Amino acid sequence: MAASVLKKVVIEKINEVAAVLMQKGTLIAPVKEEAGANFREIKDPKDIYLDYYNSILSPKMVFFPQMEDFVKYQLAKPKADAKIVEMNLKPAFLFGVRPCDVKSFEILDKHFYASGIIDTYWKARRDNTTIIGYAFDLDKPVDSADFYNTLGIGAADPEGSDIFIVKKDKELLLKGITKKGEALLGELSMLEKADAKDEKYFTDYVKKGKEKKTRFMKVDDKAVAKKYEDIFENNEYWTKMSDACLSCGVCTFVCPTCYCFDICDETIFGKGTRRRIWDACMFTDFTLETSGHNPRTKVSQRLRQKVCHKYSFSVRKYDVISCVGCGRCTRSCPVNIDIYSMVEEATKL
Amino acid sequence: MQNPYIPYPVEVTKIITEVDTKDIKTFRLKFVNPEDEEKFKYIPGQFGELSIYGKGESPIGIASSPTQRGYIEFTVQKAGVVTSALHEMEEGTLMGVRGPMGNSWPIKFLEGKNIVIVGGGFAFTTLRSLINYMIHENNRKRFGKITVIYGARNPGLLIYKDELIEWQKRDDLNINVTVDKGDATWKGREGFVPTVCKEVAPSAENAVTVICGPPIMIRFTLPVFFDLGFKKENIITSLEMRMKCGIGKCGRCNVGSKYVCKDGPVFSLAELDKLTKEY
Repeated sequence: MAASVLKKVVIEKINEVAAVLMQKGTLIAPVKEEAGANFREIKDPKDIYLDYYNSILSPKMVFFPQMEDFVKYQLAKPKADAKIVEMNLKPAFLFGVRPCDVKSFEILDKHFYASGIIDTYWKARRDNTTIIGYAFDLDKPVDSADFYNTLGIGAADPEGSDIFIVKKDKELLLKGITKKGEALLGELSMLEKADAKDEKYFTDYVKKGKEKKTRFMKVDDKAVAKKYEDIFENNEYWTKMSDACLSCGVCTFVCPTCYCFDICDETIFGKGTRRRIWDACMFTDFTLETSGHNPRTKVSQRLRQKVCHKYSFSVRKYDVISCVGCGRCTRSCPVNIDIYSMVEEATKL
Repeated sequence: MQNPYIPYPVEVTKIITEVDTKDIKTFRLKFVNPEDEEKFKYIPGQFGELSIYGKGESPIGIASSPTQRGYIEFTVQKAGVVTSALHEMEEGTLMGVRGPMGNSWPIKFLEGKNIVIVGGGFAFTTLRSLINYMIHENNRKRFGKITVIYGARNPGLLIYKDELIEWQKRDDLNINVTVDKGDATWKGREGFVPTVCKEVAPSAENAVTVICGPPIMIRFTLPVFFDLGFKKENIITSLEMRMKCGIGKCGRCNVGSKYVCKDGPVFSLAELDKLTKEY
């Protein structure tokens, strides 16, 4: 048997693959929604939308949902009680993730596993999920917002996926990258064996993916981290950068590497839930202390926090820039703020 | 695997009103499951998240010392939603606590040195933990001279009044209690903490100072210690930031690349100098 398994399937038959995965557990794949594609649990294989560019919301929500219930409680009447919400996870298959987003999982692993304090929710879902990556379609143009090349990511990088898919005309080629992925491919009986030509096509595709150009600048992790430390108090730069910013926080909600959250209790008629929900450093009350003190009252301070977190603090803390250049923040921003241009401008200072 | 977001159930076994204004109380908590006390093994300077379902959680420094067994204590000022609910509680109520959290006072670093504790107002809680830890019979010989300078605005606002009296009886502890302004019954010292620090003038020789108090007190106290010859490495303080998770995950309490809840809250001035000035 070859070192790694390559299989293929005609695109129409993806429904059959989906049906098997749905039997084995939860299948999550891009579906077409009003605003664009998003990763959702598949109830009907026909909903899978493979002809998408990238999802509006990042697939981090599969491991780090916007709401995660911790505890269901009942207040004193008739009797105070609290029960931990069990996750009851089935095996999950995350189908069709773009290479830059696959990379984001590895970055968030560093955070959620940091200092030996394991985020149990993140870990449970990560351990439980098979990641089926999907190369960008090299025949289609790159979105002008994307800059994943800058972060060293190619359009068809298989690293980090358990199974990696490239499109070959009317077929999909599926390559087992990890043992977990190979085992799964072995269980999908409708897949056909790929031949030597397919092997070459896959290898060439990955290689060609490296040449597919997004916006690019040379960014050295340590150098950019230092740069942002040096210009942290450069008010002129930060005021200029944040001039148009509405502090709406959409950039953080669509971002595959933003992880800030709030923990809150919601009680209705004596019964309630303690849960975490996504939060954002772009919101004024994010750092507001009970005393009234707030270290980040200005929009410029909050945008500075967001950019420095990704390009400086994260390098110092986790030895990685926490940005994958997916372009979502730029595409979503109502006032066209572009983090790539911000970094570019900073490096010139 | 321990789920770090789920509080240990605890019972409020004792509530002590600390100040005349009645808005600072000490809560003694006993773990409902005795094995949880072992899991909550802490060091002075660490904190916990006090949890009341329906209200939320609040990060509070641990005021008891690990040398006290069978319970933990938190001294809490009534301020927001959670602390106000806490102040309404009666003895016997069940609530929750998560922790211990944060890096603690640097005990190993303090060993073998003369220690100067400077506290202001209600920020004396984790310093009290440290003092009780150091003066415990099993620990006292590991530390040199211990000087304590503690101040409040007026006599009614001093916390741990009974303990202050007990401490003053000891000959292995130099304790200086001051109030900004005394009243008819006050026979002790009057004066602001920085002034008293100047008068007490502890030697910087082989000494470390641990300072905790309102920002204004810290601002005026630091120059006194610089004048006394204390190096920034030997001036230790504890930061406050808005916190939620307490374990370095939720992203809000950072100062530069450090999460105050996880990498702090205790920093030396030398360490703070290396961070961004955003706190």
